[in-house]
Amino acid sequence: MRSRSVKHILLHVGVILFICLLAFPIVLLVFNALKTETEIFESPMGIPRDITWSNFRHVILDTSFLINLRNSVLVAFSTVLLAVIVTAPAGYALSRFKFRGRTLFSMWLLATQAFPGIIMVLGLFTVLTVYGLINRLPGLIIMHTSFSMPFSIWLLKGYFDKIPVELEEAARIDGCSRLRSLIRVVLPLSVPGLLAVGTFSLLLSWNEFFFALVVMRDNAHYTLPVYLARFVGSGGVVQWGPLSAAALLVSIPVFLLFMLGQRYLVSGLTGGAIK
Amino acid sequence: MSAKPATQTRRWHQERQALPFILPALLVLLGVSLYPLIQGVSRVVYAYRALTQQTVFVGWENFSLLFQDPTFIRALGNSLVWTLTSVGTMFLLSYSLATMLNARALRFRRLFRSATLIPWALPGVVVSLIWRYIFLSGGPLNALLASLGVAHPPDWLTNPQLALWTCIIANIWMGIPFVTIMLLAGLQSVENQIIEAAAIDGANYLQTQLRVVMPSIKKVIMIVLTLEAIWTFNSFDIVFVLTKGGPGSASITLPLYAYQNAFMYYQAGYGAAIGIVILLILLSAVVLYIREVLR
Repeated sequence: MRSRSVKHILLHVGVILFICLLAFPIVLLVFNALKTETEIFESPMGIPRDITWSNFRHVILDTSFLINLRNSVLVAFSTVLLAVIVTAPAGYALSRFKFRGRTLFSMWLLATQAFPGIIMVLGLFTVLTVYGLINRLPGLIIMHTSFSMPFSIWLLKGYFDKIPVELEEAARIDGCSRLRSLIRVVLPLSVPGLLAVGTFSLLLSWNEFFFALVVMRDNAHYTLPVYLARFVGSGGVVQWGPLSAAALLVSIPVFLLFMLGQRYLVSGLTGGAIK
Repeated sequence: MSAKPATQTRRWHQERQALPFILPALLVLLGVSLYPLIQGVSRVVYAYRALTQQTVFVGWENFSLLFQDPTFIRALGNSLVWTLTSVGTMFLLSYSLATMLNARALRFRRLFRSATLIPWALPGVVVSLIWRYIFLSGGPLNALLASLGVAHPPDWLTNPQLALWTCIIANIWMGIPFVTIMLLAGLQSVENQIIEAAAIDGANYLQTQLRVVMPSIKKVIMIVLTLEAIWTFNSFDIVFVLTKGGPGSASITLPLYAYQNAFMYYQAGYGAAIGIVILLILLSAVVLYIREVLR
C-alpha cells in the first residue's frame, strides 16, 4: 500500500514538473510584458512589482502593429476559407472514387511536407513575379493553403470514410448532384473535421515565418511574425518590454482559438496515425 | 472477355467524376509545389557573377563548390546534430510524459493534457524570442545559476561551443507537445490486457514498454518521428531568431545557410544546391513517412 502511494505522489510530481517546464517561459513572457525595461534587467525572473501597461500602449500606438495585424488577419482568414474550399472536395474524391493517379496524388501530397523551403521559395519567386504577386498578400495566402493541404485533405478523407454512402445515395435518388450531396449531406456531418481543418490552417498561417519574411518586401506588407522578428535590431539590441507585450498580443488570439479548437485538432491529428 | 471493357468504362466514369473534385487541389499542387520544385531545382545550374553583374550558366559548379566550402560542411554537421539530438530527446521526454498522462491513477487528467499542449499554440518566432531572452547573458537562466552559486555562468548565445545546443533546447521545448499528444493517443489505443499479460509473464517496466507497448504503437511512433525529423531538419525560425547561425558559423544549419546565400549574398544557385542536398537527405525520411501513412 505504501509503495503504491509513493508511486502515486511521484507520478503527480513528475507531471507537474513537466508542466512547469512547459509553462515557465510563457509566464516569463507575461511578466516581462507588464514590467518596465529597468525592472526587466534588475529582476529577470521576479513577479512584476508595479504593473505597467505602457509596453502595450507603445506597441499599439507607436509601432506598425495594427497594420501588420490587419495583414495577418487577412492572410489567416483567407487561408482558412481557401483551404476548406480546396481540401473538402479533394478529400471527398479520395474517399469516394477510385481513379488512376490516386496513389500518386496522395504520395505527392504527403511528400510536399518535406520540400525544403529554400527550393520552394526560389521557384515560387519566378511564379509570383510572373503573376505580379511578390509583396502581395494573395501570394502568401496561396502558399499557406498549399502547406495546410496534406494534413487537411488527409483528415477530411478520414472523416468522409466514416459517413455511410447510403446516406448520400438517398439524396442522389432525390435528384441531388454529387456536389450538392457533398454540401448538403456530407459536410454537415463532418463539422468536427472542418473545425479541425480550420483551426490547423489558421494556426499554420498565423504562425508562418519563413515565406512571409522572404516574399514580403516592406513593412506595410509584413505579417505579425516578421514584425516581431524585426524587433531584434542590428547588433542584437532588443527592447524586451515592448517586444514581450507585442509577442503576447500576437499569441493571445491563437491561444484562445487553440483552446477552443484543440479537441477537434487533436482527434483529427491522431485519428489517422492510430488505425 | 466481355467484362473488361465494362470495368474500363466504369473506371473512366469514376475518373471523370473525381476530376472536378480534385481539380482545385491539383491546381494548387501543380502551381505552388510541382512547378516551384522544378523551377527551384533548376536554379542550381546558374550563378550570379558580381563582376559582370550577370547570371550565367555554370553547370555543376555550384555542387563542386559545396564540398570545398567549410561553412557548408559545418552546416551539414550542425544540421545532423540538431535534428538527431532534438528528435531523440523529444521522443524520450515525450514518451515518459505521455505514459504519465496515460496513467489511470493520475488526477485532473484533462487539465494536465491541455496544459501540455500550450507551447504548441505559440508562433515559432514568439517561442524563439522567449528563449533568446531566457538565455541572455544577464537573463533569467544565468540569474538562476548565479543564485545557485555558479560563479561564471556561460554566455549561452555567443559561446561557439554552446550556441547550437541553446537552439536545440528551445526546439525540444517547442516540439514536446505535438510528440506527446501523438504518443498519448497511441498509448490510449493499447489494450490493458496485453500489458497485464506481460506483467504476469514477469516482464519488468522497461521490458514491457520496449517489447510490448512500443511495438504495438509502432505506426504512431514512426509517423511522429519521421514527421518531426523532417520539420526539425527544415526548421528556420529558431536558429534565425536566436543566433542567426552565429557566433561566426558555430550554430549555422543548412536551411539558414541556404537562405543567407540566396537572399543576402545573391547566390541563388548556390542556395539551390544546398536546398537539393536537404531534399536528398530528407528523401529517406519521406519514404518511411509515406509508407506508414498509406499503410
